[in-house]
Amino acid sequence: MIIKTREKDDIVIFDIEGEIKRSDITDATLHQLVKDQLDRGRRKILLNFQDVAFIDSFGVGEILASYISTHNLGGKLKIVRISKKLFLIFQVTMLTKVFEIFDDEERALQSFFGE
Amino acid sequence: MKEKRLHRIISRFVDIRPDEAPTAVRVFFYFFLITFPAYIIKPVKVSLYLSWFTNARLPYAYLLTAVVIGFVVVLNTRLLNRFERRRYISLSQLFFMANLVAFWFLFKLHWPWLSLLYWLWSDIFIATSVTQFWIAVNDIYNPHQARRLVGFFVSGGLLGGIGGSILASRLAKTIGTENLLLVCPAILFLSLAVVNGLYARQPKEKVAEGRAAPGEKKKPTGYLESFNLVRKSRYLLLLSGLVTAAITVSTLIDFQFNSVVKETIAAKDARTSFLGAFFGVVLVVSYILHILFTSLVLKKFGIRVVILFTPLILFVGAWAVFLFPVAALIYWAVAVKGADKALDHTLSQAVRELLYIPIQPEVKYKAKIFIDMFVNKFASAFGACLILLFYTALKFSLKQMSFITIPVTGVWILFAVALNREYVGIVKRNLKIKWQDADKIVSQHVDRNLTKLIFDTIQSREKSSVLYAMNLFDLIQKEKLTPELRKIISYKSDEIRAKSMDSLLDVSGGSFVPEIADTVDDQELDVQVREIMALDAYQSVIQDRIEEIVSRGQTEADVDRMEAAKLLGMMVPTAPVVEDLSRLIIDDSPEVAKYAIESATRLKKPEFVPLIIRQLKNAFVHEVATDALIDYGEEVIETLRSRLRDPQEDVAIRRGIPDILGRIGTPRATDALAQELAGGREDVEPELIDALYKLKSNHQDLCLPERTVLPVLHDKIKKSYLVLMEIDKLLLDGKKAPLVKDLENSLSRSLKHIFELLGLIYPFEDIRKAYQNICAGTKRSTDYSLELLDNILKKDLKEYILPLVEDIPFDEKVRRCRKLVRALERVSFNEP
Repeated sequence: MIIKTREKDDIVIFDIEGEIKRSDITDATLHQLVKDQLDRGRRKILLNFQDVAFIDSFGVGEILASYISTHNLGGKLKIVRISKKLFLIFQVTMLTKVFEIFDDEERALQSFFGE
Repeated sequence: MKEKRLHRIISRFVDIRPDEAPTAVRVFFYFFLITFPAYIIKPVKVSLYLSWFTNARLPYAYLLTAVVIGFVVVLNTRLLNRFERRRYISLSQLFFMANLVAFWFLFKLHWPWLSLLYWLWSDIFIATSVTQFWIAVNDIYNPHQARRLVGFFVSGGLLGGIGGSILASRLAKTIGTENLLLVCPAILFLSLAVVNGLYARQPKEKVAEGRAAPGEKKKPTGYLESFNLVRKSRYLLLLSGLVTAAITVSTLIDFQFNSVVKETIAAKDARTSFLGAFFGVVLVVSYILHILFTSLVLKKFGIRVVILFTPLILFVGAWAVFLFPVAALIYWAVAVKGADKALDHTLSQAVRELLYIPIQPEVKYKAKIFIDMFVNKFASAFGACLILLFYTALKFSLKQMSFITIPVTGVWILFAVALNREYVGIVKRNLKIKWQDADKIVSQHVDRNLTKLIFDTIQSREKSSVLYAMNLFDLIQKEKLTPELRKIISYKSDEIRAKSMDSLLDVSGGSFVPEIADTVDDQELDVQVREIMALDAYQSVIQDRIEEIVSRGQTEADVDRMEAAKLLGMMVPTAPVVEDLSRLIIDDSPEVAKYAIESATRLKKPEFVPLIIRQLKNAFVHEVATDALIDYGEEVIETLRSRLRDPQEDVAIRRGIPDILGRIGTPRATDALAQELAGGREDVEPELIDALYKLKSNHQDLCLPERTVLPVLHDKIKKSYLVLMEIDKLLLDGKKAPLVKDLENSLSRSLKHIFELLGLIYPFEDIRKAYQNICAGTKRSTDYSLELLDNILKKDLKEYILPLVEDIPFDEKVRRCRKLVRALERVSFNEP
């Protein structure tokens, strides 16, 4: 898994490539990267799943932990461009009740300012 | 430039922001120019009345005013809603100016009843003008601003009153009492100009509060509607009760005072002059008290204590009358009436007006009109009735009238105590939660363990039909294999290339692919699997196979070890083969370790605990290890505690332990956390605070001893001050923004911890609301948060915390923190 970070209008965008799974050992986990941004005072986080094929329970845990850390500081974490397969599983597991998921990055970015 | 100079001058006396200075000065002069003529009109009113009537007729003047004022309230309310504020106030001032000229003319005709009419008119003028002024203040300012500036505004009123009194005292004997009335219209004209200037500066939306939007049909607010508003609100009823008791006491004291003056000074102009001088001196004393004490006292003691000052002093004053001989009663009368008026002009007035501010705008104005005018005068009428009953009918002496004053003062005190409780409630209601606890949001919608199992099941389909089957089996056992889920995780048999269950038994043959067959009975499957596992033959064969997999370690494929780890969790805890799980728990592969830890959770054998703890430092299985230890529960608390205390232990492990203890959440776990917090373990302090905060969030009746929390709080506050001072130093040295930004973020984290610590010893929801509104609220809600903290925190704590969160200029904040950090070094929050 490779995670690249970019910023737009005070929103931190994590572009994730590969699969978010336990066996893919990286220097820093997704949650650690999100927490670093939160420690820097960032409060708007967008996860770009365009190149994410699949995730395992570790990946789910990382996304949930990132959401909780962000939200409990008064911030917002949202997801964009999730695959249909993943979206279906998110629906069945009710994760769509927790996360705001967008098809389009522009709309996702706009939504941070609409609130 | 001018504004800066103005601010520099005023800020010497008042806590005022630079942008507030011009408006505040206008408000100051507005009040000045109302009270100046009022204090000419007042001595004239009393003196003329006492010239034509005896003191026994005074109650009739009080009663007449009380009766008529109700209609005036209605008219005032209608005008308030009909016209925009500025126009309404201007028109009423013009009306009063015309009346004064008319009275001056009519007094030349020497009609006795005119003095009664004039008495009535004076009360209407004074009540209306002062109410209009406070309505203007409520239009312009929010509660926290108002509390800072109210002292400054009241100064304007006091100075105006002093000016008017001096003029009345000096000119009464020279030009005559009646001619004093001609001075007032000129002063009111200036007031008109100031009010118009004031409203011209305000944004329209601020002033539009409490009024109907343009285009909307404007409903007139009737007297009945105002009454109903007050009747339905406990807070407003108590406020009405307080005002009633206060005014009744004031009326009784006023009667005693005027009676003594009438008996002591017979000549009209001399009496006017005396009254002018008396009011002037009272105002000077009030002004001095006000400058030196009002803001200081309010800041030091808060509204809830200051509200009791006046009734307690008058209670003592009422008793004191019995110490004075009749010939010296004028001294007692001057002292008690002076105290009543001085306190009324300063502390009582400020407190009463501040008590209105937390009320919703749409209710505030209507209720204020009703209370200020009607309740006020009803109380005067009540006082008048008490005088008629006890003095006129029952022939009480002037001294004996104090026996009536004393119990009424007692009632005043009771209302003040009740209002104290309600005030905090109303401030809280103005604060909304900005964001919900995310853990709770997730828990409400998502079964985390099931979700993870589903993802693992789907993923394992690609890896191993054995793992896949085992995961399916778990879903079946949890009775969670819903039709939707079956559809999503079902697959075609020719897609599978993973090893089959047969390979585990080392039996050659085709792949067995477990499909999700609707025909398979879930319970039957469960029974069959357990029966197989219970067979001795099975145990013997499987033990050999697993030992072979485990001993080969990393040379064996990960998937084989994953299957073995998963299988071991399905065994009975007493099976000898289960011991092999130990090596799998600390396997290098996170996936193998994950399955092994999950299996260890099912088996709950104590020997696995140290190995699971070891895995807390592995980011890829940290969450699984955490969940496992939480599942172990009480039996791991002491082990976790000893690891937490061990300075040699890996810090990543130590940092993971507080969260586990917090989520175990039993009293023993809570005690362990509290004791570790008190133990001063700085390297894990943030984690300890977070864990305790989460515990309190789920168990709000949890009570932590202050002696545990206060020293940590003391330390955090001090560190915050030091960070602020460091930021100031960097800014002065012109250092780079990133350094300053890092420190600001560090300060922000400290503040979060300060509020989390406060949440452990104060009402959780109150502290949470206050913190959230300070971080993310509007200016108004931030001010309410500060007001709430001011009312609920203990004096020594709020003194040190409020400067960190108040909206004051940065250099002022640093200055205060420099002063406080020295004080903090000498003080401990645990000291009584």
